[in-house]
Amino acid sequence: MASMTVDVSPHAGRGSGPRWFWNALAHGYVWAWMAIFALPFLATLIYSLRTPDGVWTFSYYQYVFGSFRENLLLSFETTLITIVINLLIAIPAAYAIVRYPIPGKSFILSTLNLSLYTPAAVMGVSLVIAYAFLFRIPQTMIGLIGAYVVGTFPLMLVPIIVALRDLPMVFEEAARTLGATRMQTFWRVELPLLGPGISAGILLTFVIIFNEFLVTLFIAGPGLTTAALRVYNLARTAGFQPSTAALATTMQLVSFTVVLLFFHFFGSRYLKGTYLI
Amino acid sequence: MVNRLRFRRASRRGGLTHRHGALLSTYGETQMTHAPAEIAIEYEIAERSPRRWLSTPRARGMLLLAPAILVAVLFSIIPLIYLFQVSLTRESSFFFNAEYTADNYLNVFGRYRSAIIETVYLAGVASILDLVLGYPFAYILIRKIRYREFVRTMMTFPLFGPLYLAFGLFYVFLPTGPLGGVFVLLGVDIAKYLFSQAAVLFSMAVFTFPFMVMNIGAALANVDPLLEEAARTLGAKPWQIFTRVLFPLSWGGIVAGFLMCFGWNLGVFVQPQLLGSPKEQSVISLQMFLKGLVQFNYGLAAALGVLLMVMAFAVTWVSLRFSRGALGA
Amino acid sequence: MTRVQLVDISKRYGPTAAVEHFNADIADGEFVTLLGPSGCGKTTTLRMVAGLVDPSGGVIRFDGQPMNAVPSHKRNIGLAFQSHALFPHLTVARNVAFGLEVKGTPKAETERRVAEMLEMVELGDYANRMPAQLSGGQQQRVALARMLATDPRVLLFDEPLSALDRNLRDSLKYSILELQRRTRKTAIYVTHDQSEAFAISDRIFVMNEGRIEQAGSQLDIYLRPQTEFVANFVGDNNGIPGEVTGLVAPGGEGEPRLVDLVAGGIRMRGLDPGNVRPGDKVVAFVRPENIEVLANGHVADAPNIVRGRVDQIVFEGPTVRLTVDVDGTPLKVISGGLERLTLLDKEQREILLRLQDVTVVPDDPAVAA
Ligand SMILES: Nc1ncnc2c1ncn2[C@@H]1O[C@H](COP(=O)(O)OP(=O)(O)O)[C@@H](O)[C@H]1O
Ligand SMILES: [Mg+2]
Repeated sequence: MASMTVDVSPHAGRGSGPRWFWNALAHGYVWAWMAIFALPFLATLIYSLRTPDGVWTFSYYQYVFGSFRENLLLSFETTLITIVINLLIAIPAAYAIVRYPIPGKSFILSTLNLSLYTPAAVMGVSLVIAYAFLFRIPQTMIGLIGAYVVGTFPLMLVPIIVALRDLPMVFEEAARTLGATRMQTFWRVELPLLGPGISAGILLTFVIIFNEFLVTLFIAGPGLTTAALRVYNLARTAGFQPSTAALATTMQLVSFTVVLLFFHFFGSRYLKGTYLI
Repeated sequence: MVNRLRFRRASRRGGLTHRHGALLSTYGETQMTHAPAEIAIEYEIAERSPRRWLSTPRARGMLLLAPAILVAVLFSIIPLIYLFQVSLTRESSFFFNAEYTADNYLNVFGRYRSAIIETVYLAGVASILDLVLGYPFAYILIRKIRYREFVRTMMTFPLFGPLYLAFGLFYVFLPTGPLGGVFVLLGVDIAKYLFSQAAVLFSMAVFTFPFMVMNIGAALANVDPLLEEAARTLGAKPWQIFTRVLFPLSWGGIVAGFLMCFGWNLGVFVQPQLLGSPKEQSVISLQMFLKGLVQFNYGLAAALGVLLMVMAFAVTWVSLRFSRGALGA
Repeated sequence: MTRVQLVDISKRYGPTAAVEHFNADIADGEFVTLLGPSGCGKTTTLRMVAGLVDPSGGVIRFDGQPMNAVPSHKRNIGLAFQSHALFPHLTVARNVAFGLEVKGTPKAETERRVAEMLEMVELGDYANRMPAQLSGGQQQRVALARMLATDPRVLLFDEPLSALDRNLRDSLKYSILELQRRTRKTAIYVTHDQSEAFAISDRIFVMNEGRIEQAGSQLDIYLRPQTEFVANFVGDNNGIPGEVTGLVAPGGEGEPRLVDLVAGGIRMRGLDPGNVRPGDKVVAFVRPENIEVLANGHVADAPNIVRGRVDQIVFEGPTVRLTVDVDGTPLKVISGGLERLTLLDKEQREILLRLQDVTVVPDDPAVAA
């Protein structure tokens, strides 16, 4: 990508205005958008740090670790369970899709990705009906996790497929000729080399499930209010409260930290063609 | 003692003569004789003992895929089929004594026609905004910016979801908000825009902006900058370079990006609720929630769901033809 | 230690045959090279021996045991890849230890063996580096150490040097040979580079389009090519179509049998391929370096001695390359030694040539088509 940074301004050589002006405009435009991206977060952050009288305070964050604690813990719990199940499902699936001769591969892939293209509210309403009257698991943790898994494992699948396709067969072949069984080859060679792709899948699952509120709104029962759903409920019923802002800020900070860590270790390579960039 | 091998520079002895011993091969004859009869027997021995179907690569692959397929069937396909079935019954009769009817769909295309139009309108305008504002952004990002990773990182904020976005923007639209002073200085009555179509459109456009930039950026990254230089040296003006070189070459990305944004925006839910007027709040997703989970009119909610799903799938189907996503053909 | 036999091995990919009727009996400790142009099926053959590709037909045997049903990881072979294929996430030492670890070798034994192998390839100080921190030559040496660590029965090489630069290639190919000689392991080496093949092989299998064209020692292949393909592919050659005029009575016991022929209007005497009669269409081959420029005063009236006009002279330093027109037939001639300097002013002049070591190959219309 760095090689693409050839300076070919469409405005270079144009009579009106010097080159630096157009450059400044271009950079200014991008910075303006970055400000817009960060604006809602910053506004929420500021709001969470001030009393109605305009005094700066951290006191609203006591709610985050007080009455919102349960919601946050539930969010972490469901996110973690979803990630584990996604890994158990997506790694073998990706392996099968890339390395095995399977009939109707693209059809299967489309079927697996179906939930990715289903609007969240449609998924919510279809699941709430199916859970209540078909599976008889209304408002349960199992139902919630099932919805999370089906909604996000394709996002785990894609980066792993990309990583596996990028991984030359010679490493597997070298391992095999050195005497490694299929299992040993997988654990010792392929899994470590798929690390970035798998991490990308974990990142995507985390960012989405941790912040998911819409499907949850449809199918979660009283005891299953995740932190994101709590934000939504409070915003709907209690209006714009600093304590809600504190929870929303915490959620975004956690998400952003996870993203930063990922970008630091792996860059954006394995996120191409997925939900994030 | 370890035998040491000398990895020295090759001595410059001729290839043919450097090892006299090997010159006259003891295996001089060409071995092109036809296979002797014993091979027929050997084939039998070498032929792997009959295996159960499970050990064929195809079966093993399907086995590895089974959990994924099971999850998709249980939690996606069956519920969607069920949803379709429910959409054909009156109110919540399906669960007690099913009365099949097409009323829900008549209702959807009758009373809820304005809701459909509103949804499509909002999604369309927001996506057009994304396109118009996102193309220059993608171009600058791909061609002129070295701190691209930083921009990408910042672009993840909207992707944490429309909820925080709408929630934060709510405060921005307040006169007491963080930019209140700036708006006063500009002479803008910002509060006027809270609970308005403009606020909803803006928040929708910001939420899907990264999808547009991602698709157009991917297309532009594949356009050699030398083509633009070539066009310029041939005397093309900047807008001609755009219309004749960049636009045709990034067409796939434009269509894919637009449809992807449109598909996401069709499912819009929280932005109208927090930032919009009752008119914007008529969007399909919100109506589904109200009819299904508040008024328990499952039949109608299901019909709205089926309609929204069909629209979303159609859009996705077309966009996948155009995108060069990771799994592109 | 291991005799490798390939009996009528074939591999088909759909309608195309990558390898057909491949027969080879490779003796214990022998160093065999598969030589041929890209796409002729060398890699496929090697990978069938390694167990990475299932043959469509035929039997592979190690010491008489059929190997077809034995999976790759149980064959105990060492395979060197074109790209070194070192595991990028493991250190040099862990790479070399890999084969021992997966076989459950005790830790102390593994460590001792790894140190020994790294010493052998003179990389003892690099044990804790990552592969990416090594040069191309060092990487390939680690790959050799890794392959030898498990004491494999057969060594297989798939163009292991082709990604390296020329000097490294030259030194490493002798290192490989030395390793093989020291360990006395059977080796099959794949290359499209004939100088590599000639430098290190006991026996060369020249392959073309999935088939063996000719198998034999370097001298067999170079001096007695049995097909037009081999004559053209190995070394530089002048191929002149002609016709057999007569068989020469053998001079004595052990003497090569000769035939007389006329090719390109030139009367020649060449090696009898054994299956031609007077009147048969043949192609005569004579290598540029086997054409001697004769001093003035020789008489032209003898087989293999012709008069021609020098069209072009290229001075290449140690050699001089001439193009000589003999009655409309262009002949490539390479002249070395001091006499090459006497040729430099011969452009457009007549000179006298002696064609030596003429080989004769039947003109196969099927091959020509
Ligand atoms: N997996 C495969 N599928 C289809 N064709 C193949 C495959 N592997 C090799 N081939 C074909 O078999 C022929 C021989 O290939 P290969 O053994 O790699 O040649 P070489 O190593 O001599 O260059 C080639 O024509 C190649 O295209
Ligand atoms: Mg090859």
